[in-house]
Amino acid sequence: MDDILQILRDNGTLLLVGQYPHGPLGGLAITLLLSLFGILLAFPFSVGIALARISPFCWLRWSATALIYVVRGVPLVMFIFWVYFFVPLLIGQTVTGFTTMLVTLVIYESAYLAEIIRAGIQGLPRGQFEASRAVGLSYLQTMFKVLLPQALYNMVPAIISQFVSSIKETSLGYVISVNELTFAASQINSTLLTKPFQVFFILAAIYFVLCLILTQLARIVERRIAERRNGSRVTPAKPVTMSRATI
Amino acid sequence: MSISLDFSLLLREEYSQAILKGIATMFELTALAWLLAAAVGTMLAIVRMSNSRLGQAAVAAYVEVHQNVPMLVLIFLWYFGVPGLLPDEMQRWINAHNSEFLFAFIGIGLCMAAYISEGLRSGIRSIPKSQLEASRALGLSYLQSFRLVVLPQAVRLALPTLVSHSVLLFKNTSLAMAIGAAELTYVTREIESQSFRTVEVYLFSTLAYLAVSLLIMGGGAALEHRYRIKGR
Amino acid sequence: MRKTLLPIVTLACLSFLTQAAMADQLADIKQKGTLICGTLGTSEPFSFPDPVTREIQGYDVAFCNAVAKSLGVKLELKLISVAARIPELQQGRVDVLAANLGWTPERAEQIAYSDGYYVSLQKIAAKRAAGFKSVADLAGKRVSATKGSTSEMAVKKTLPTATTVTFQDPPTAFLAMQQGKVDAFAVSELTLIKFKQQVESSTPIDILEPPVMLEAWGIGMRKDSATLIKHVNGLLESMEKSGEAAKIFDQWLGTSTPYNMRRGFKIEPIKG
Repeated sequence: MDDILQILRDNGTLLLVGQYPHGPLGGLAITLLLSLFGILLAFPFSVGIALARISPFCWLRWSATALIYVVRGVPLVMFIFWVYFFVPLLIGQTVTGFTTMLVTLVIYESAYLAEIIRAGIQGLPRGQFEASRAVGLSYLQTMFKVLLPQALYNMVPAIISQFVSSIKETSLGYVISVNELTFAASQINSTLLTKPFQVFFILAAIYFVLCLILTQLARIVERRIAERRNGSRVTPAKPVTMSRATI
Repeated sequence: MSISLDFSLLLREEYSQAILKGIATMFELTALAWLLAAAVGTMLAIVRMSNSRLGQAAVAAYVEVHQNVPMLVLIFLWYFGVPGLLPDEMQRWINAHNSEFLFAFIGIGLCMAAYISEGLRSGIRSIPKSQLEASRALGLSYLQSFRLVVLPQAVRLALPTLVSHSVLLFKNTSLAMAIGAAELTYVTREIESQSFRTVEVYLFSTLAYLAVSLLIMGGGAALEHRYRIKGR
Repeated sequence: MRKTLLPIVTLACLSFLTQAAMADQLADIKQKGTLICGTLGTSEPFSFPDPVTREIQGYDVAFCNAVAKSLGVKLELKLISVAARIPELQQGRVDVLAANLGWTPERAEQIAYSDGYYVSLQKIAAKRAAGFKSVADLAGKRVSATKGSTSEMAVKKTLPTATTVTFQDPPTAFLAMQQGKVDAFAVSELTLIKFKQQVESSTPIDILEPPVMLEAWGIGMRKDSATLIKHVNGLLESMEKSGEAAKIFDQWLGTSTPYNMRRGFKIEPIKG
């Protein structure tokens, strides 16, 4: 225990902000930035993919489905390496480790979020779609004004869980030396050498506290939503079986 | 300009041997970790549904820890952290027996056990409590009622979740490369750094992963179809 | 996604060509006003954070500095992992590499090297308690190294019967040996000296003879940047003449440092 406190005293700043302000920002700050931007940027894509997946056009449906299956079927590490090697070649410009990881997360999260949103839309009673069309709304109006707002509301807990996943996924930035939290911990481990258990314990504890707060938040929100739905006639959304891309 | 993807490189003996070995390790790791996860996960689910407050709390804590810490970090903790806490004799034995593989297997298996237990639990919860009570009334023990009555139904209900978790488990075996376990991703990187044929090597492995994942998903769908409970 | 892979590959190859055709890198660097130097950040005393300011410093960094200064531009250090060095350079994410970059024929096909600014011996160490006397004793044993490093290749060549287990960075590979996960650990001599001092009091290690490889380090540059290569070589030559290069050596590795080393080499073109 003394060891752990000592390590935190000596290296706390490195874990929190990396070398900042004498060098690039790193540690927990980068982990949070990466996962936050990852999920925010993935959001519009995921709505698009979800709509494509239930759209009336088969070619749209099929390509969205193919994308989702590729993401579900290929390890995140592999995606990281693809982005790492090929995005710079593709755009002919240098790309930082942060950007590499961000692009990977956006691709990955878009697919998983899309499935959550799709489940949300499909969990709504079919009658809503028909009623909206009957009062003269177009297909897109029905989607954006009637179905999506409700689906997103119902899916807030699942989206928070997905955010937790993306926090955990940033730990893989380590393999391409993005200076996020896990990388910072391994740097500390490198200097100390003799205290690996303590260092990785601290690392695990930081992730744990952060993610636990968020999962608890998701649960509270879920309960609220369930309470508000009681009495209204909306059927509860089906459980989302693939909501968490666990890493 | 013509683009040449030269896969013949992968057929060179040194590389093809390494790739085959990597694929074999990947399958071994997947199978063993899956068995561990299924066994521990089932046990956790049963304890979670029991009346023991302490047991419930312990399982809840286990699940939270494993769901809220990245698997990579858990693997590091197992590989670098845990051996130091063991007696020397045991450390030596572990080190002599491919500890990279061993700890990857334990780390991945125990982490996925948490997810599997949660999947099973939601399956169990949708079985009416009266079934358990009825089985007990018929003279079955607590464990017997679980094994013979509740679990078979719960597993069927939880099947979609279990299949998607199995795919995750399979994909996450790639994390074992971080501690030097020579599975497919590790071998891929090794060959890439020796040959610099990045596209070919990564394309091959990516398609290999995708193919196996799709097989698991397809197999899962077939199982679901076969064992679905009529009327639910 | 699978469908789009081929166009991606096509584009990738195309942009490789366009990059190759790109002109004067020296002028580009001067124009943008910064030199991006790739360095490891985890390798004392070549590139490591100052414990107080957390700024990256060291022997490699000093050469990055010298190059930037000679061009009259600002230096930007970019921390990269050992395995990422060559891809980072080839994809233009860094302008030059001063990152413990040993010369090998395979690498020399991919990138250009400056004159050697350091000569490193790759050695193997084992725990004293294990009782290995020389490198030959390690036949059939497990040896750890850094993923994609020269030491990994050196071990494979000199000890074909040994199993190599590779890790992300040298400390992790060393840790694996300390914990007995592997029998020995291969890395540059210097890194070994440092590790040896750190653990002398607890679990001492022995550095085994002979060295598995003698390796000249160069500053890595892209092959198409002829003007930059010429400039860097000119700079290194003048640093050797003025004694500045020797001064840098003494500052980080010399007799007043814990490494207590004498400079047994001169900056000169690397002979393959």
